Amino acid sequence: MRTFAAMLAATALTATAATADVSVDPNLPTYEPVSGVSGSLTSIGSDTLNNLMTLWAEGFRSHYPNVSIEIQGAGSGTAPPALIEGTAQFGPMSRPMRGTEIEQFEARFGYEPTPIRGAIDALGVFVHRDNPIECLTMQQVDAIFSSTRNGGLDDALNTWGEVGLEGEWANRPIALYGRNSASGTYGYFREVALFGGDYRGEVREQPGSSAVIQGVASDIGAIGYSGVGYATADVRAVPIAASEGGECFEASGDNAMAGDYPIARFLYIYVNKDPNQPLDPLRGEFIRYVYTQDGQRDVMRAGFFPVTNGLAEQDLGIFGLMN
Amino acid sequence: MTDISDPGIRNRTTPDGDNAELTQGKKVRRYTADLSATGEPALWAFGGALAIGILLISSFLFMVFWNGITTFWPKPVAVVTLEDGTVLAGEPTRNERFRPGTAILNAMSEEQRAEVEANGGYATRTLYKTANFDLYGDDFRWIPDYTVTQTSYPPDFYTFERQEWGVFIGRVTGLVIDDQPMAYDPQVMRREQREARQRFNEIRRLERGPIGRINHRLEQERLAIRRAQLRHGADSAEYEAAVAEGNARIQELQARFGEIQSQVAAIRALDQRNRVQLEEIGGRSIEPPLSQIVRYYAANDLSLLDKAGIYFSRWGEFLSSEPREANTQGGVLPAIFGTVAMTMLMVVFVAPFGVITALYLREYAKQGRLVSIVRISVNNLAGVPSIVYGVFGLGFFAYTMGVTIDQLFYPERLPTPTFGTGGILWASLTLALLTVPVVIVASEEALAAVPRSMREGSLACGASKWQTIRYVVLPKALPGIMTGLILAMARGAGEVAPLMLVGVVKLAPALPVDGFWPFIHLERSFMHLGFHIFDVGFQSRNSEAGKPMVFVTTLLLLGLIVAMNSTAIIIRNRLKRKYASSHF
Repeated sequence: MRTFAAMLAATALTATAATADVSVDPNLPTYEPVSGVSGSLTSIGSDTLNNLMTLWAEGFRSHYPNVSIEIQGAGSGTAPPALIEGTAQFGPMSRPMRGTEIEQFEARFGYEPTPIRGAIDALGVFVHRDNPIECLTMQQVDAIFSSTRNGGLDDALNTWGEVGLEGEWANRPIALYGRNSASGTYGYFREVALFGGDYRGEVREQPGSSAVIQGVASDIGAIGYSGVGYATADVRAVPIAASEGGECFEASGDNAMAGDYPIARFLYIYVNKDPNQPLDPLRGEFIRYVYTQDGQRDVMRAGFFPVTNGLAEQDLGIFGLMN
Repeated sequence: MTDISDPGIRNRTTPDGDNAELTQGKKVRRYTADLSATGEPALWAFGGALAIGILLISSFLFMVFWNGITTFWPKPVAVVTLEDGTVLAGEPTRNERFRPGTAILNAMSEEQRAEVEANGGYATRTLYKTANFDLYGDDFRWIPDYTVTQTSYPPDFYTFERQEWGVFIGRVTGLVIDDQPMAYDPQVMRREQREARQRFNEIRRLERGPIGRINHRLEQERLAIRRAQLRHGADSAEYEAAVAEGNARIQELQARFGEIQSQVAAIRALDQRNRVQLEEIGGRSIEPPLSQIVRYYAANDLSLLDKAGIYFSRWGEFLSSEPREANTQGGVLPAIFGTVAMTMLMVVFVAPFGVITALYLREYAKQGRLVSIVRISVNNLAGVPSIVYGVFGLGFFAYTMGVTIDQLFYPERLPTPTFGTGGILWASLTLALLTVPVVIVASEEALAAVPRSMREGSLACGASKWQTIRYVVLPKALPGIMTGLILAMARGAGEVAPLMLVGVVKLAPALPVDGFWPFIHLERSFMHLGFHIFDVGFQSRNSEAGKPMVFVTTLLLLGLIVAMNSTAIIIRNRLKRKYASSHF
């Protein structure tokens, strides 16, 4: 798998990362509704993207009132079967599809599913609001969450003292909160923060991103990972350094876009598009809406980070939606 | 409680002959009793268990009720000045005690540290709802109380509930009416905002009504073309005729769509010309169109009557409008509708099935080993985890039956499934399966409770078996059967886990009933209050802001179940009275 930073570099995103406030790329077009769009859409997939899909659907419906859009989000793992069975037109996923999932899709349709990258998310590593920890390295995160410790640390980290906290924190055990295995967040975190290793059995698996935050908020020794958009005042995202001695980066929009924050990712929507046929107007217009000022403002409303016009044009080009 | 001097107890616990001993040659009764014999400890245990049970239930209900009922009451906006000079405005939400760590203690001044030490190492902090998510990137902030130097409640601070981005807290600096900036005038603002909301609702109405109808007909035309293609083949004359005809009508419809769309665009343009200038406490300002302001009030300058007005207007919105901001704000009308419709539909399925099964098992079947096995199986069905029913419903109803129905009756819509995915029909069938054991067991009990003499009397008068059941047994058993149905309804309305698999969704904009033929769309997925609670509580971006909505929705769901059950109980009592007078 190509890393997020490499993909960002490939799309020439880094040039715009200097701005202090995250805002929508002014080069993105405003949405112009066309006539003749109606019908129903179903989206089945990631629960990280659940709110964002809902906001997009609300925005899209303000242009096409009787388009009905259904949204189900039980985890990224539910998206590929839904696309293969044809029960959904959109499969939002918070991780790229796995090779086996793509193969299954290809076996049915003869072509690969096409992703759009609608938003950027930084996966936050959250601790209780009173936790004074200043920074964690990726290796420490790995040694906290994983049983295999592919990151390279020799020993598992079990107490806050072992990651450098003192006083009353030194003997406080680390309580682990994470997502359930159907979640794309679970898969992505394993791939990147655990270096492909395995989770420890002690991780308390929660049914939603928000449930992880609530778990961490109510447990003083807790640490958990979740989309940074779900943060509340009760938790704090710990800055993360890519390696020992490296610089610590906050889970902010700028750092995510610049590729400095090591656990940032794209949020995808997979679409079943026959390469030999044009996309039907309903799905086409929805995708076009995602890459407009309004669509990317919705991204910010959902707590994620918007994509740039360059990336938008690239994805729209794949779908033949560039005029 | 038991009193030893009570003659009744004494007689019961010390019967003649027992506990009697000889004193000076005379039989003397000893009037004491063993505690365990009087059952007193057991009595205390039972009473205690009951009291604990009632306490738990009532405190739970009170918590839901109190949190739910107070959520919509407008809260004041505090302007807080911190010792480092920062000023922030927000609604104080809750506060807590916490133990500051060493780093925080070191950063404190001497007096503060002394005060914390005097409090046993604890300090307090308050959570302020600062809102303005579009400007701040967060909605809530914890402020340690010792850092606050001044708190005030200025009357010129307003709370704005916006159509998008949630709440804004700040001052009004001016108005822009018809693109002309003017000073803020409360009356002008009130009038213009009302007009803007009317325009907003007018757009909604146009979108729902005329545009909705056009879109529906467009869809019909497209499906007709597709149907012709499937029926006659892609290169047949019929197909080409259908395409030509359909396209002509589509053109016509789209022309009409264009007209209405331009009307909408005109209203939108007008909307953009009427704005309000708002400024948050830090000085940054925004200028949203007035039509985006759902509700606003001067949070610290409200009379009790104003507050009550806002309170009830919020309840009104909650009960009668659609959700916005990914379900965390606005109303829950689609979810209320979905819950009631699904429960009613479930009763329609479960009642005949349950009652007929019970009738057969109790009245017709020969009581033997086979019937016992059936009965045990039915009882065991009640213990199957509800999610298993959900999996069954998805696999059997949606993926097997539904997909077959789609292939037979809706081939033109494929690959978009019609019945081949979760929907209100499959959800209510699944719940009917889930609750049918309750109905069977209750109905059987009710049938068994009909005295044998009544049956025999009826049969002796020459009535056939069916006539006896129909006119004597069933009316007598009906209240009991209704009780079973009421229990089933209560269980079904509160069940969420299986529904998540068979048709409940986060957002289902179209209700299962609308103005387009065939008016009732059983294939549509729906929203449900129980799932809404789960979604807002565990899936929403800002769980802190979602919490009050969770309580309100829980309160509503409880209220809805109570209402449905009371209706059923009233009907049951009516029936009881009716049949009580109609037979001997």
